[in-house]
Amino acid sequence: MNLLTVVTFVPLAGAILLALIPRDEAGQHRAATLVFTLITFFLSLGLWLGFDASPSAPEFQFEVKQPWMSSIGIGYHVGLDGVALLLVMLTTVLMPIVILSTWSAVQDRVKEFMIALLVLETAMIGTFAALDLILFYVFWELILIPMYLLIGIWGSQNRLYATVKFFIYTFAASVLMLLAILFVYFHDGNTFDYVEARNALQVTSEQARFLFLAFALAFAVKVPMFPLHTWLPDAHTEAPTAGSVILAGVLLKMGTFGFFRYALPLFPEAALTFRPLLAGLATVGIVYGALMSFVQTDMKRLVAYSSVSHLGFVMLGLAALSAESLTGSVYQMLNHGVSTGALFLLVGMLYERRHTRAISQYGGLAKQVPWLATAFVIVTLSSIGLPGTNGFVGEFLILSGTFLSRLASSTVLATVASVGVILGAVYMLVLVEKVFFGPIDNPENRHLPDLSVREGFVLAPMILFIVVMGLVPGPFLAPARPAVDRLVQRFQQAEARLGVPTSVGTVDAAVAARPSLPPGRAF
Amino acid sequence: MNGLPVRDFAALAPVAILALGALTLLMSEVFLTSARRGYQAGVTLVTAVLTAVSAIVVPPAGAIFGGQATIDAFSVFVTVVICLGVGLSALVSAGWLHARDAERGEYYALILFAASGMVLLGMSSDLLVAFVAIEIMSLSTYSLTAYQRRGRRPSEAAFKYMILGAISSALLLYGSSLIYGATGTTLFSGMHGGKGAGSMLLVAGLGLVASGIAFKVAAVPFHAWTPDVYEGAPTPVTAFMAAGVKTAAFALLARIFLSSQTGAGVADLSFSQILTVLALLTMIFGNLLALPQRSVKRMLAYSSVAHAGYLLVGVVSAKVEGARSIALAGVLFYLAAYTATAIGAFAVVGAIEARSLGGHESRRDWDLDRFSGLARRNPLLAFAMTVFLLSLAGVPPTAGFMGKLYIFKAAVGANLIPLAVTGILTSILGAFYYLRVIVHMYMKPAEGEEAVTATPSMALALGGAVAIVVVLGVLGDPLIRLAQAASAVVM
Repeated sequence: MNLLTVVTFVPLAGAILLALIPRDEAGQHRAATLVFTLITFFLSLGLWLGFDASPSAPEFQFEVKQPWMSSIGIGYHVGLDGVALLLVMLTTVLMPIVILSTWSAVQDRVKEFMIALLVLETAMIGTFAALDLILFYVFWELILIPMYLLIGIWGSQNRLYATVKFFIYTFAASVLMLLAILFVYFHDGNTFDYVEARNALQVTSEQARFLFLAFALAFAVKVPMFPLHTWLPDAHTEAPTAGSVILAGVLLKMGTFGFFRYALPLFPEAALTFRPLLAGLATVGIVYGALMSFVQTDMKRLVAYSSVSHLGFVMLGLAALSAESLTGSVYQMLNHGVSTGALFLLVGMLYERRHTRAISQYGGLAKQVPWLATAFVIVTLSSIGLPGTNGFVGEFLILSGTFLSRLASSTVLATVASVGVILGAVYMLVLVEKVFFGPIDNPENRHLPDLSVREGFVLAPMILFIVVMGLVPGPFLAPARPAVDRLVQRFQQAEARLGVPTSVGTVDAAVAARPSLPPGRAF
Repeated sequence: MNGLPVRDFAALAPVAILALGALTLLMSEVFLTSARRGYQAGVTLVTAVLTAVSAIVVPPAGAIFGGQATIDAFSVFVTVVICLGVGLSALVSAGWLHARDAERGEYYALILFAASGMVLLGMSSDLLVAFVAIEIMSLSTYSLTAYQRRGRRPSEAAFKYMILGAISSALLLYGSSLIYGATGTTLFSGMHGGKGAGSMLLVAGLGLVASGIAFKVAAVPFHAWTPDVYEGAPTPVTAFMAAGVKTAAFALLARIFLSSQTGAGVADLSFSQILTVLALLTMIFGNLLALPQRSVKRMLAYSSVAHAGYLLVGVVSAKVEGARSIALAGVLFYLAAYTATAIGAFAVVGAIEARSLGGHESRRDWDLDRFSGLARRNPLLAFAMTVFLLSLAGVPPTAGFMGKLYIFKAAVGANLIPLAVTGILTSILGAFYYLRVIVHMYMKPAEGEEAVTATPSMALALGGAVAIVVVLGVLGDPLIRLAQAASAVVM
């Protein structure tokens, strides 16, 4: 049996098994879930080791193509390119950590909670693995149900508003994508197969623009791009820690992944038309998210707005369409998953100790909980992109790649985006200062327990990734290269078809002609 | 005609079996000495199974009785879906009636009589046969609506249903007479192309027939009876009506609409336009009106209206060359999916509602608050309801999603983009009101320990319905193939 299929459905099998364990055995539910997510992780290591990242290797690996609902043209077609592989790995790495982090935080309805998480894992892996448009859509929508329940049942006070808003926002945006998928079916030789559709799609440029917008809307809501981001702060704030970590760690990447895999390569001509809009909104999102983070009084809301800002970088890198910026975007997807995921874990740990998310309730914690404070500072440094951490690599690639790209007014956009980096450092360091340093004003903050062993196990892998991915980015960048190069190539072909001067890639030649700037290769 | 057309009578076996089952139940009442009527649901179930088996086993006879009825793969498919509805509703009814001590002899007999009318409707290819079938079906459902006759609501509902139903029958009959005047025949096959094609008389006749059927499928603006009747009828009856009447009426509509030989023509065009307008109105208003409902039963009634709208999209698409087979197959698949989903959802409503019988019912019986905390009180029931609601909302991986996918795909293929866009956008509204029930079940504390009627037969029905909804959503391919084969013969 195909390894990718196994990795996809092992969590679902776990969910079914969990349904059979009696309700009162919370300990068994937790342990079984941890075991199943660990099995999934170890199996996915096989994907990581077996992936061939050389340019001559097939685009999609671990591929399976079987009839499923063949009478209406739907197939079970899955496979991984480098980007999907990285995101699947991100998912399988994060899940055991998330399960471990909820060990004591969730006491109510543990069985349903764990089942929801396992179903969610299958849906997330399936979304990245799918190579059939309807299969992709099924997994994409399947995510909504467990996530909706996670926020709505185990969330905090305002959870109902947040969860319904989350569901309606994403559902509304995705059904239009479904319509676009159906339209594609009738213009690509009647197939829902992604690979075939990409090669055979025949639409007028006007139709392509509508289709691109339908896909882009679904993905932009998920990312979320300014001004479609308003569900995110609510969902993040109200979700339980596990929900926030998965939301930030994996779900937001589905939006950017959607652009990378579907919206951009399926409709390159239309994407070129809307590229300035995407880049502009991404840049606005970077600065807006940072400014909004600055004024938040709720820790989770602050981190949520910082996500808007960080994902803005990813979108800017995608819109710039140079090999460097695209690679940076892919890397930044992983970074955001690790560092923002870790931030939510840490905020969750603080919440478990003090049961408040208000920043003003904290202060001077560093003396009480030195290990927690240390971890928080390291994660913060990664989040603001300090050299030596993973965040630096991604942001540097995106900003330099955008600056040197052929995107119209790319230098302005990259410069404005750089301001976002500075603002990011400001609001994160202010947060650290307010929470961990200064005098202990609030007597409740005395005698808080430091990290437990379990919490140490939760944070250690995250911090390890922050350091390793910051110092040795090569192995993590390598699988993405072929996919990135193919995307750039696709756009060059599209421009050749349109007969317009190329606007993708970097201005290497121009840079070389100007000795004042260093050569444009970032790595 | 020489001698009895044995072959033609044999082909009517499914209808005959249903009627015989009903008569058996009525006769057994005469000899019954105890008040125990638990066997009746069993007899109904067995009759439904036998009917389905006979429909599948007996080879389709094609046109019988001079073309007045047609037994083909299409009618077989419709028959089986109706039998599925009968079987599930019988199981649901058993527990529901028992808990209320309301088992009386005529209930299941009426269900079977109604079903025989529905099955006949799926076979009819003549306006008069269709009329007779509609009347058999309708008179039985009127009576079933008033089954709990002591309350005020059942009487009101049944009376309203009967009056409006009579008007719709009159429209249908008047339309038929106009069509006969224009074409000289009551056969569907003679309505298009031949004599009188393009005459205004035919257009008017088709319009009236379409209105009559629109009453039965509860399409806006002919839907006004639906919420009151669905709410007033005993819940298992509502479940049966929502699934069965809709299936039968859509089978009729598809046959009338698609029996055209030539395709084009003024009459066809106007029929298409009428149905397009009906589809748009039904999708928009069905969903909008469901939105503010607090009574879950009433909400499901409006949702049934909305689903009629989606089905109409499929029927309209079926008229377009190139999208025919997939559109009609989509309608059939959708009907099968809706049968399992709607009966399941109404069954849960029936399990939740108060057991009081008689004049004390109120909207509170089906208020959202009664669903509060259901996930704690009865996790399996809440899970089943969640599956049904997600299927109604069209969220994968459920049968409802596959049905919608199928129908919207047909609409896009037929280049009816406005219809598809309206369908997609209105299904977002659907997500709002279906989700609200899930919110109450899972995310709100229970208001009190409301009793839940969950008997083994009910559990069997719910389990079966959940299985059908999920299996059709994940592995629906064989059924799609059957639906495609069934729709190919109507072309």
